[in-house]
Amino acid sequence: MAAISDIGNEFIRQEIEEYIERPEERARTIATFAKARPEMQIIAAALIDGDNETVDRLTREALAAGIEALEVMDYGLIAGMGIVGIKFRQNFIFVPEVLACARAMKAGMAHIEPILSASGIDPLGKVIMGTVKGDLHDIGKNLCIMMLRGAGFEVIDLGVDTAPDRFIEAVEEHRAPLMGMSALLTTTMPNMGKTIEAFIDADLRDEIKIMVGGAPVTQEFADDMGADGYGKDALACVELAKSLLGVRAR
Amino acid sequence: MQKIDKDEYQKRLDRITEIFAGMVNHADELSRHRCPYKNRFDQCTAQFGCRNKLKPRAPGELPLCASDDKLDYRNAWETERS
Repeated sequence: MAAISDIGNEFIRQEIEEYIERPEERARTIATFAKARPEMQIIAAALIDGDNETVDRLTREALAAGIEALEVMDYGLIAGMGIVGIKFRQNFIFVPEVLACARAMKAGMAHIEPILSASGIDPLGKVIMGTVKGDLHDIGKNLCIMMLRGAGFEVIDLGVDTAPDRFIEAVEEHRAPLMGMSALLTTTMPNMGKTIEAFIDADLRDEIKIMVGGAPVTQEFADDMGADGYGKDALACVELAKSLLGVRAR
Repeated sequence: MQKIDKDEYQKRLDRITEIFAGMVNHADELSRHRCPYKNRFDQCTAQFGCRNKLKPRAPGELPLCASDDKLDYRNAWETERS
């Protein structure tokens, strides 16, 4: 059985000792990292730290050195994210830290995407995501984006305070078949309807599926606005995206 | 260029989804009493105004959050940039 002393990276050892309490999780994590080469442990450590620049650089270097992409995923990116999940569950870190780690994972995956493409593995679909005009809340949207990317979608994030024209521009530029809008305030929810109207006016409504979400949004409101779907949380967002695009499991 | 097996890649996506789903569920539970924009240093990462925002500990740092994590923070959110 692997021991924590088999893990060369001190940061990883400290993370396991300090944050992983459940015996089965601890054993599984130790076993994973004991098999990981040093370069992978450093990638995992950088991801846990939310250091997307280092994950970016080290992933690029690892792949260039001939390390298999799946190894980078298993022992660098996913192994690191596993520890992030445990720390979050136990409230050692919170949503801002989780999103920073998700950005680091995205930075690493960006170097694996060309390999996926060369392997004939395409994204499940392309999705434009944004918080509507006048609204500066983004955490719900960002969690949805994290889930969508994790499920294999390509996501273009327009950020917050996104005007209808910007949504239209992005859909046309990226030829995206699906768009998601988020609003966290009752005062900005109507801008979802205005955005949908803008697509109608631009003669683009039939070319795009539109899903909506956010704390004050309801299925009834989504139906009244003319959206194609409503997701109550990030998990529902992924299932809705798959449903709207007619995506089946690989 | 190396190639990746589709089924093997899907296994990794499934594992990532499993990890992220756990995070999303916990985030939802946590957000009932703790603002999701509050980081582990009790600093505010929100771009918008909020009545719970306090001056940062030092210049250049993020503002602090005064919330006691017991009330529904969402009533404190404002629509304007901070």
